[in-house]
Amino acid sequence: MTKDLRECRLEDLPGPKSKQELDEMRMPYEDYCKAVFAPGHEMSKPEALKGIRWLSTTMYIFTPHSVANLAELGAEVIKVEMPRMGDPMKHTSPFNEAYLYPLHDTRPMTGTGYGFTSANVNEYYLSMDYHLPEMKEAFYRLIKMSDGLTECYRPGTFDRWKQSYRFVQELNPRFIYVWGGGFGYGPKCFGGSYDILGQAHAGLASVTGMHEFMGGHCTKHSNWCIDWYSGTQITFGILAALHWRAKTGLGTMIEFSQVQAATRVLGHAAPMYGRFGIVRQRWGNWDTQLCVHGIILCGKSDFPDAINPQDKFEARYAMVSAFQDKDFKALCDVIKKPDMYSKYMKHKDRVEGEAQVDIYAELEDWAKDKSRAEVVRILQSEGLLCEPVMNDREVYESEHYRTRGTVRWMEDPLFGDVLVQGTYSAGLMSQTPRRQYWIWRPVGADNVKIYHEMLGYPISTVKEWYDKAWI
Amino acid sequence: MCDIIWCKKTQADGKPCETVNYLDPYCFWNWKGNINCAHCGTVYAIHMIQGHMYKGPDEQPAGTKPDTSPLYADKPLEGYINYPSGMEGRTRPFHCLPRHIYLGVPDMVKFSIRGKPLRGWRPQPKSAGIAGQFPYNWEMEKLSPEVAAEYKEKIAKGEVKEW
Repeated sequence: MTKDLRECRLEDLPGPKSKQELDEMRMPYEDYCKAVFAPGHEMSKPEALKGIRWLSTTMYIFTPHSVANLAELGAEVIKVEMPRMGDPMKHTSPFNEAYLYPLHDTRPMTGTGYGFTSANVNEYYLSMDYHLPEMKEAFYRLIKMSDGLTECYRPGTFDRWKQSYRFVQELNPRFIYVWGGGFGYGPKCFGGSYDILGQAHAGLASVTGMHEFMGGHCTKHSNWCIDWYSGTQITFGILAALHWRAKTGLGTMIEFSQVQAATRVLGHAAPMYGRFGIVRQRWGNWDTQLCVHGIILCGKSDFPDAINPQDKFEARYAMVSAFQDKDFKALCDVIKKPDMYSKYMKHKDRVEGEAQVDIYAELEDWAKDKSRAEVVRILQSEGLLCEPVMNDREVYESEHYRTRGTVRWMEDPLFGDVLVQGTYSAGLMSQTPRRQYWIWRPVGADNVKIYHEMLGYPISTVKEWYDKAWI
Repeated sequence: MCDIIWCKKTQADGKPCETVNYLDPYCFWNWKGNINCAHCGTVYAIHMIQGHMYKGPDEQPAGTKPDTSPLYADKPLEGYINYPSGMEGRTRPFHCLPRHIYLGVPDMVKFSIRGKPLRGWRPQPKSAGIAGQFPYNWEMEKLSPEVAAEYKEKIAKGEVKEW
């Protein structure tokens, strides 16, 4: 800007400032996006949360993920684990296989399971039995030097150990303290939580899956979606608390109940009950508000000769959406059921339960001698929205995701060639993108860095604590 | 489902062994061979088909080498004194090796699906660092020369891809 604010210069106005910028702005939108997001070049850009130090005394997926989000955005996250055991999630792997070794140098035959992936990236791994009186000093010193802490113990446990918010705010009034757990305070205060409990207790599982008259049951999502979702919600809370602290200089306590989190995704359930007394029911792969807007079963797999059963038998589903009158008419014409259009000409007629049963049965009848790819091609060529239900391999093969860098290979410093999808699927940022430096480290891998280099304890003390299994 | 071998072999003190050796279905579902008792070492021949004891257990003469060991054993009449998995010479070590996805045989994966080397195999050498610290310099040439050689071979054959 000029010194005299009344003076107006071209370069101070919005718009291109140089020939290069002009060229950049002339780019078609896609080229522009490729240039500004530049997947694969994240490491050369600054980190939004650099300078924030966060402690994580968390386990499993839900609370760890809330801080992994910070670490991916550049915060220095110190994961504090129990000596020689680590986060129980490290011992959890799909079907008890696929471990990466070692877990800890005293346990060379024990590995960390793939279940740990994506919830603890870029973190520093400290081991500490922080409820021992001997380790309190080190723990409090970490509190003083950090911006916040996320913990997941039963309510009141940290209070009993004199490290809850009411204790730590005396040490550091700017401290942001997060408790994430099952029920939170209330009549069920002492109940713990798991993702499945979150899905079940909040009413989500009751509206997921097919109705019983269709042979379905209330359904848990195969993946721990409420763990991942709740963790992300905590991250929003943390970012808001950091903003509040920047304005007031004061910390916050965040209390996050996982079982209540899932009620947020239930949309109109409570207001509808409140007004009409209607309890929402599950409707499987269809939609209670839109029709046609669901997933249908096709007759043939796209990969009948594949060895993998997920390809051989399961590549048979396609999502179809044609709820607008014009699209529904086109769909009825394609499947050669013009009478169905005359019967359900208005959306309010076809969204009825009985109508949906009728319509989807006709659709699946039409698709029963076709492969998934055929169904998709026919409907897309009619200008209808239709996409295959893809499995993980197809996601990996998808050119769309490769272009955007959503799924990518990385060289982990410890574990070598790893295919990752978590970090880079969480939205692109042109200036301060998320990035992944490492997937995880063994238990206590950064003990020397934190205890000796950061807190200044002599190596002999660190060694002594280690020998006593305090760290 | 889990079948057992209840060893009744008379011991030196004149009492029966009374050890229950558990035959885990993963290993013994369809299996024929010799297996030792975790306590006294008596070898039994068994033949299991689809999880059922088709033949045996038949005691084998002393000195017969067992093909494998039970995963776990205990002595229920003596307060469940047990032999956990991984006791050399008594129970089968639990290697926790990833299996081939269809064949079920233990298979330590050395390369990713695009042919680049993986690390983090089992067992890992003990860390040379202080207090559990891991020095992050993995020199494949030194630590796993056979994998390094195999990698070079794969590059030469054009089996290493970007995707």
